[in-house]
Amino acid sequence: MTKSLETHELRKTFGGVTALDGATVKFRHGRVNALIGPNGSGKTTFFNCVTGMIRPDSGTTTYQGQDITRKTPHAIVRAGIGRTFQLCRVFPRMTALDNVLAAVRPGGITRALLGARHPSEVDRARSWLTRLGIEHLAGVEARNMSWGQQKLLELAGVLNAGPETILLDEPAGGVNPALLDRIGSLVRELNAEGRTFVIVEHNMDLVMSISDHIVVFDRGRPIAEGTPAAIRSDERVLGAYLGV
Amino acid sequence: MRNVSRWATSGGAVLLVAALLLFPSVAPNPYVLSAGIVVLNYAVLSTSWNFVGGFTGYISLGHGALAGLGGYATGLLVVKAGLSSFLALFAAAVLVGLVAVPVGFAALRVRGASFVIVSIAIVLILLLVFQSWASFTGGSRGLVVPRPFPDLSRPEHHRAFWYLYSGLLALALLAWWLVDRSRFGLGLKAVREDEDKAEALGTPTFAYKMIVFVVSAFFTALGGGLYALWFGDLDPVFQFSILSGSYLVLMALLGGVRNLFGPVVGAVVVGVALEYFKVSFGDTQLHLVATGVLLGLVVMFMPDGVLPALAALVKRLRPDDSATIREETAEELRDRRLANAGDKR
Amino acid sequence: MDGALLFQSVVLGLLLGGLYALLAAGLTLYFGIMRVVMIAHSAFLILAAYLAWWTHTELGIDPLLSMIVTVPLFFGAGVLLQRGLLSRLRPMTLTMMSVLLTFAIAVTIEGLLGYAFTGTQRRIQLGYGSASFGLFGARIAVVKLIAFGLAAVALGGLYLLMKRTRFGWALRATIQHQDAARLVGIDTARIAGYGFGLGLATAAVGGTALSLDTTIYPSLHWHWIGPLMAIIVVGGLGSVPGAAAAALILGLAQSVLQIPMGTTWAQTVFYLALFATLAFRPQGFFGGRLAQRF
Repeated sequence: MTKSLETHELRKTFGGVTALDGATVKFRHGRVNALIGPNGSGKTTFFNCVTGMIRPDSGTTTYQGQDITRKTPHAIVRAGIGRTFQLCRVFPRMTALDNVLAAVRPGGITRALLGARHPSEVDRARSWLTRLGIEHLAGVEARNMSWGQQKLLELAGVLNAGPETILLDEPAGGVNPALLDRIGSLVRELNAEGRTFVIVEHNMDLVMSISDHIVVFDRGRPIAEGTPAAIRSDERVLGAYLGV
Repeated sequence: MRNVSRWATSGGAVLLVAALLLFPSVAPNPYVLSAGIVVLNYAVLSTSWNFVGGFTGYISLGHGALAGLGGYATGLLVVKAGLSSFLALFAAAVLVGLVAVPVGFAALRVRGASFVIVSIAIVLILLLVFQSWASFTGGSRGLVVPRPFPDLSRPEHHRAFWYLYSGLLALALLAWWLVDRSRFGLGLKAVREDEDKAEALGTPTFAYKMIVFVVSAFFTALGGGLYALWFGDLDPVFQFSILSGSYLVLMALLGGVRNLFGPVVGAVVVGVALEYFKVSFGDTQLHLVATGVLLGLVVMFMPDGVLPALAALVKRLRPDDSATIREETAEELRDRRLANAGDKR
Repeated sequence: MDGALLFQSVVLGLLLGGLYALLAAGLTLYFGIMRVVMIAHSAFLILAAYLAWWTHTELGIDPLLSMIVTVPLFFGAGVLLQRGLLSRLRPMTLTMMSVLLTFAIAVTIEGLLGYAFTGTQRRIQLGYGSASFGLFGARIAVVKLIAFGLAAVALGGLYLLMKRTRFGWALRATIQHQDAARLVGIDTARIAGYGFGLGLATAAVGGTALSLDTTIYPSLHWHWIGPLMAIIVVGGLGSVPGAAAAALILGLAQSVLQIPMGTTWAQTVFYLALFATLAFRPQGFFGGRLAQRF
């Protein structure tokens, strides 16, 4: 069996609005996958359903062959799926180091009564901060950091939870071009180390340059998928974006 | 910063231990000592409240009633079941911890607003039950709890309870401190900052909230039970009052919910103030107004408490303070980087 | 069980439920506008009842006339409360801190009432206070019907205001999505203030209705806040129709259960409903989407 993150016929409505309309998608393991589509096409709702933040009305999600549809968000993290949020979310009144330490790694719950600043934990957390180039901010409260720094910090936290698969919700949103390049190469690096990505993103340059596989959403369901080259020349995609 | 706060914690601990040991000898008369015990009772309850309020940011107005339940359970176990006083105290606290489980199940599955509503409802329900079920609880006539040390004179009795309360306070503070520095505590603080985010980083937020709520209820009940044994007379109107619950919140908030000793400081300030209000306003309802205005002022202008406000003041008076912090961190980092240089890349 | 007695309880329950519905509507408005659980709502209710009582005993005019003053007064107080105090709290801890702030206001009002009017129980003696009429064997006091009428008129007015006016449209938009409302040019800050004023005005009407046939004392508000809280949770926080439905059903249940259980134990129905709702259906039984997260 190939390892993958799959959804089958996910459906979710809010009041009268259908956010997901029978979304069946498969993201293969080891790839950088992108999920694109016009605003309101259900991408974030899709993330929220997959990560257990909201419960779909019907349909299933399986990860590595295991049904995770009704699991709680923290259990899904332990199963190996981490995520960032659309408008980056960090713990504002906690230091950068504590932000990263707050991620629960597999087996971390049984050691809950351990000191939070156990040297081995701190070393690991700091190494993530170093990797993302924000180690000099370890002692700074997150609310005093810049937007770009907070985005990196959020990613550091997610990485410290040790997920195999990472869902990024608009990683390029509101960041400057230099940081954009860095995020792009970081994703490729982490992917080379064996992590799978699913990225929701509007910046097409970034999407086209880093992804192996692209899924296009429109009105709550996939309408096309394929390699960046194939997607670029797909007329349905153009139609969805331009409303033709 | 961490070093500064470590010094503050140790210094606070030394001061507190000294005060706890010396107060009975310097208290001029039994009245002052008994007033001191009332304040100490508040300190225990407010610290217990702070397990939930301080770590998770969930504000309970019902902890006064949990203390009352602990008191009544202790009293009833002594009177009706014939248990010895301190066995009853412990059993009552366990019992209240168990009661906290279904309460927490209803209150903690959803977010803050429902929690507050449930915490208020608990007070009203318990008041209703304990007033109306007179055949079991004594109803509005109250419940007389036999004293655990019948041979002691009144001052000796106060003195014994002063030390019992001191021990309990030390225990509660120790537990809070342990949680504060644990991974569990970090998870709870993450809940306070952003619950969805904490969950998305793998924290089982519901279980964490539940555990800390039960721990908090346990200590609260111990405080309430000890009060029952000391005071010897329980009245539902005072045991199950939202007002007494709000005192605990006011104390913790005033002292600072993120500080180990915040609630203790708050208990001393508010406890003394309450005593003063009672003396100067007598039977009028102005003590309610004073409490309300004080709480409103704290919420509007000092939501982080006086201790943090003082800390900020100290920081402002020492302009080079922030520089030293940064230097320290940078130094640590340099070491770390050198150590890491070998195995990374 | 006696059929007439049961029928009487049902009627009284519905009349009481109407008052609950009006008050719960106010609470729901506050919650919808800024996720605030307004503990002081019932304290303002009792304040209005005291003002009605004072109008009657000191000025010797009908207590209903006190509304000419109290309704605009409370509206202003609500706007001030929102603009001057609640909107100045930190957004991050707003839900929790607003509870404490409104609690502080409730305690202050209770204290001031106790100081001004003492803790003595008060009751309005009306000329038509003891008048009643028979309806299929049940006896219904006229004042209860007046109270219900007041509640129904106020609730109906609120409904029309919300559904038919431009202000209502702006208020509903603000409740549903503050940012989106701002984008379409609604001054959400001002609308939120007026929304609070409206909510508090319902307390003025409710308090006047309450004063007609109830014995009042300063700490009475604690007996109201519990049931009202239960109603808004059962109704699904933030949903006005949900709150109204829950108010009628629970008011009815309380009234009917008084026959076998007595007045004291019948109150537990609110708390049982509250716990059952939170344990099994935290979003409430009629409720909107809001509730899931609170």
